[in-house]
Amino acid sequence: MKITWNWLSQYVDLQGLTPEQVAEDLTNAGIPVEYLAPVATGIENVVVGHVKSANQHPNADRLRVCTVAVGAAEDLTIVCGAANVAAGQRVPVALAGARLPQGPIGKSTLRGVASEGMICSASELGLDVRLLPKDQTTGIFVLPADAPVGESIVEYLELSDMVMELELTPNRSDCLSLRGVAYEVAALYSRKVSMQAPQLRTPPQAERPLKVEIATDRCMAYAGQVVSGLSLRPAPLWMQMRLLAVGVRPINNIVDITNYVMFEWGQPLHAFDYDAIAGGHIIVRDAQREEALVTLDGQARALEPAMTVIADPEKALGLAGVMGGESSEVTANTRAVVIESALFDPLQTRRTGKRLQLRSEAGMRFEKGIDPAATLPALARAVELLCAYGGGAIASGPRLAGAALADANTRHDAVRQVAVRADRATAVLGFTVDIEQILSVCERLQFAAREENGTVLVDVPSRRPDIRIEEDLIEEIARLIGYDHIPATMIAGSLTAGGLSNEQQLTRVATDHLIALGMQQVVTYSFVTPAVAERTRLQPDDELRRMIPLLHPLSEERSVLRTMMLPSLLEVAEYNVNRRQLDLRLFEIGTVYLPESLPLQKQPTERRVIAGLLIGQAQAPSPLSESRSIDFFDVKGMVESLLKRIGVDAAAQYTRSMAPFLHGGQAADITAAGSPIGVIGKLRQEVCANFGIDLTDAFYFELSVEALLPLIRERLHVVELPRFPGTLRDLALVVNRALPVSELLTAVRSVAGPLLDDVRVFDVYTGEHVGIEEKSVALRLSFRSRERTLTDEDLQKPIAAVLDAVTIAYGASLRG
Amino acid sequence: MKNKLLALRDVALLRLEQLDLEAWRVEYLGKKGELATVLRGMATLSAEERPVIGLVANEVRADLEEAFVARKAELDSRQAALREQAETIDVTLAGRTPYLGAEHPLRKVIRRIEDIFIGFGFTVEDGPEVELDRYNFEALNLPKDHPARDMQDTFYLTEEILLRTHTSPVQARTLERRCPETPIRIVVPGRVYRRDDDDATHSHAFMQIEALVVDHGIRMSDLKGILLQFARDLFGADQEIRLRPSFFPFTEPSAEMDIRCIYCHGDGCSTCKHTGWIEILGCGMVHPHVLEAGGYDTSSLTGFAIGMGVERIAMLSYQVEDIRQFYLNDVRLLEQFATLTR
Repeated sequence: MKITWNWLSQYVDLQGLTPEQVAEDLTNAGIPVEYLAPVATGIENVVVGHVKSANQHPNADRLRVCTVAVGAAEDLTIVCGAANVAAGQRVPVALAGARLPQGPIGKSTLRGVASEGMICSASELGLDVRLLPKDQTTGIFVLPADAPVGESIVEYLELSDMVMELELTPNRSDCLSLRGVAYEVAALYSRKVSMQAPQLRTPPQAERPLKVEIATDRCMAYAGQVVSGLSLRPAPLWMQMRLLAVGVRPINNIVDITNYVMFEWGQPLHAFDYDAIAGGHIIVRDAQREEALVTLDGQARALEPAMTVIADPEKALGLAGVMGGESSEVTANTRAVVIESALFDPLQTRRTGKRLQLRSEAGMRFEKGIDPAATLPALARAVELLCAYGGGAIASGPRLAGAALADANTRHDAVRQVAVRADRATAVLGFTVDIEQILSVCERLQFAAREENGTVLVDVPSRRPDIRIEEDLIEEIARLIGYDHIPATMIAGSLTAGGLSNEQQLTRVATDHLIALGMQQVVTYSFVTPAVAERTRLQPDDELRRMIPLLHPLSEERSVLRTMMLPSLLEVAEYNVNRRQLDLRLFEIGTVYLPESLPLQKQPTERRVIAGLLIGQAQAPSPLSESRSIDFFDVKGMVESLLKRIGVDAAAQYTRSMAPFLHGGQAADITAAGSPIGVIGKLRQEVCANFGIDLTDAFYFELSVEALLPLIRERLHVVELPRFPGTLRDLALVVNRALPVSELLTAVRSVAGPLLDDVRVFDVYTGEHVGIEEKSVALRLSFRSRERTLTDEDLQKPIAAVLDAVTIAYGASLRG
Repeated sequence: MKNKLLALRDVALLRLEQLDLEAWRVEYLGKKGELATVLRGMATLSAEERPVIGLVANEVRADLEEAFVARKAELDSRQAALREQAETIDVTLAGRTPYLGAEHPLRKVIRRIEDIFIGFGFTVEDGPEVELDRYNFEALNLPKDHPARDMQDTFYLTEEILLRTHTSPVQARTLERRCPETPIRIVVPGRVYRRDDDDATHSHAFMQIEALVVDHGIRMSDLKGILLQFARDLFGADQEIRLRPSFFPFTEPSAEMDIRCIYCHGDGCSTCKHTGWIEILGCGMVHPHVLEAGGYDTSSLTGFAIGMGVERIAMLSYQVEDIRQFYLNDVRLLEQFATLTR
């Protein structure tokens, strides 16, 4: 919402205030002023001139030599290149030594004729030419014939008037009018609003019949009046300049007056060409099925019964509150208009506007709600201005319909009573508020108020629909006393222990651990393209294909909710690989969204997943060591390290995985305590290629936070340190090459007896010293007793048991 | 005999540097060495002579032993020096640095803010991103078709199920779940969604973090007290704040909090649009309708709520110009955060 300082000063006394101060105080009162600047700056020595003659330049076809009176003793000779310059015009003239926004103007000689100044165009004066009519922007800016010759253009066009742009919160629709801002400023400085509500007038003789009728419950009030004898012409320049300053395009006197009054009173108005209304009969009704209307912008609109139209008995004339129709548009031939001032249902206006993608200053005001008390004054004001600036005369009595007006017609401000208690205000705000302060705030707001037993009863006028409950008034009190007045205190109540849930703690520890292992945390979007299902080679019946679609996605690329983290990480990898970042260790603890069924019936399960993607070298490059590409066991080592860090490593088992996106021979499902907790493996080359990553191996892992959570160690009982030395025995067992080492270890652990402390693999050999189908697995068994030092004899039995067991189960033999 | 001993000493000391040290020890200090040989002659001495010569003999032995130790130390250190010289490396070569990981800046900011509120006694709460209209809007005093819903253009999945547009539904859920328990002190970080086209300052997905307190006797001044402490923890001990009236459907009174511009300290610069202040967050006293929706008695209970955009704080803190940077995950940018201890 834009306003100007001069315009505002018409309705509230601004004496002694500066725009800067008002802007700051409005901002601190919750009406932020986003922009404050003069209409145009940098203009000096530009005056209104009168073109006495404009003759062809002797040496140039396109130039004219003009004699221009500027209120000085001598007329000036000015060479002008604009095609529209003509004798008799009033124009802005930059005198020699003048300043314009683009720079200074001096005397110059053009093709042999000395020019003593410059006739200016609108853009040279710094005006927003996008909003000006075309004939005002091509060539020089022609001023009205009554412009006083010699007057400074800055004065005449009010170019030094300050434009303020207010950034209004949705509750302050009252400030979508000069009237509302005037009340706000009046409240800030305890001043009075000087805005007279003009009265509707009825002519002695109604020359033009007008009947208004409401045939829908979506229109609360409708008022209309006919003004005839109009002639269409530009609105007075001061009105155009003001509209221009607040960002409204001046069009003609009738349209400009409706806009001007809308800014004044906040009530949108519409002018219909009276002759286009059959029988002078206006009906507000729901649109009919398959009804059509060509709107002002020339578009043919298909209407729906959910929309409200203004119609005559034969046809729709306009969309209520949204846009008028072409057939009843004001044109150069229009002599009589019906001015409409109405209250339309906010929701309906909003829905229709959204449906047709029509946003307008009027629609925006209807959506937020109009003060019913402004409806009739706005109509009266528009009629008054049409008579003054359109050559019009009132041609019908005001015609009113709707319950909302019955009330407002008799009382200027319909009111709502809201009570506020001083002790409640004190309790909510944290500083003492007494009755006098409340009454004083109400007086500043020009709300009638009286005290009754510690409670102030406030009559809130209809212009402030945002104030409905006690807290709303408490905010008004705090706002006008000033939020700076609120002290900073500490919460009084009982102490509470803050902290993290187990899951939050787990994700923090996992994050820190992966970072310590050299991984880079990333954060990716949850939306992906459904094409990731194909790109990751999901089977047609894979549950992960059930990705929840957005009803109105912004793009196909981000149109469904992800069911896995892999595509997100691959997207990041692609971005970085394309920038020649080839060593990537990425992880994210992200969310996947798994619906029970599609279409969605209820909220999906949101599962948190720790996912990692690794590409490139195993170690940071160094001249001291050979480089080596990352492999499965580097990644597995990280996963094992992470699982150990959170206390679940012992339980984890790795079995060959069939995940469709992973390498057939280098992938494992990870389970712990019998339930799946994740997968790990090399990505299939095809999958990488589908995401634009070629010629490099990529490894991926993911762990489900939900699955890990019940497994994490919550307590630690320290194991007493041994007092007796342990004994080591190494066994090299030759077994079938395909035998998973983990099976061998499980077998050893299960038969070696209580003295076995630990067993680990320290070498795996394949080659010429064993059979082609065989491998040699070197195990280091460590034995220990808590009671004594073990002897060779103690170990004979367990070693024999181990050898027996592995021979029988796997045909293992000791390597000679 | 005395002369013999003294002569022996002189010769031995003279030869110390000429002979191999071990050979020297055997020759002079060994059981069959020269000193022992001379001392074996002591038996022939008279009773008067014996103690005198004994004294001289001990003195000579001590001198020789001392010389031996000194010589040994000298040789050892010379040898060590030679070995170290052979093992000398270029210490200016870079070490074998392990890869250095880093926390994502948005997660970093969230963790810091969580920790500040944990310090105030708040617990961290999570809630679903795919929400019901009821929790995202209706329970927060935003009935259907409320114009304020325009502030937050929404991604719908069905008519009733949507992607939350703010973290505030967790307020509604927590109140409903914990009613009539007090006090409530929670801080809620999380991802939210708005149907905005992505540009330098907008993202269809971003992070918020919010805090909620409900208890007997909570005042707006308590809100200001927490905010001041929060701002000082996050932006420095001398940070100033100011509250400005604002509007949120779920708070009344509502406010926006500005901090003194962290770049110009209030002098005015382009970041603060020459106002000296930067808007950081929205807050207010919990709207009675929100407490009522949760089942709380609004005559005896009040509360406050605070909500902020994580990206905004990260952009300010780290001078990131474009919000999309956080989601592009260019590792060259992310790696820089490895260097930050807080």
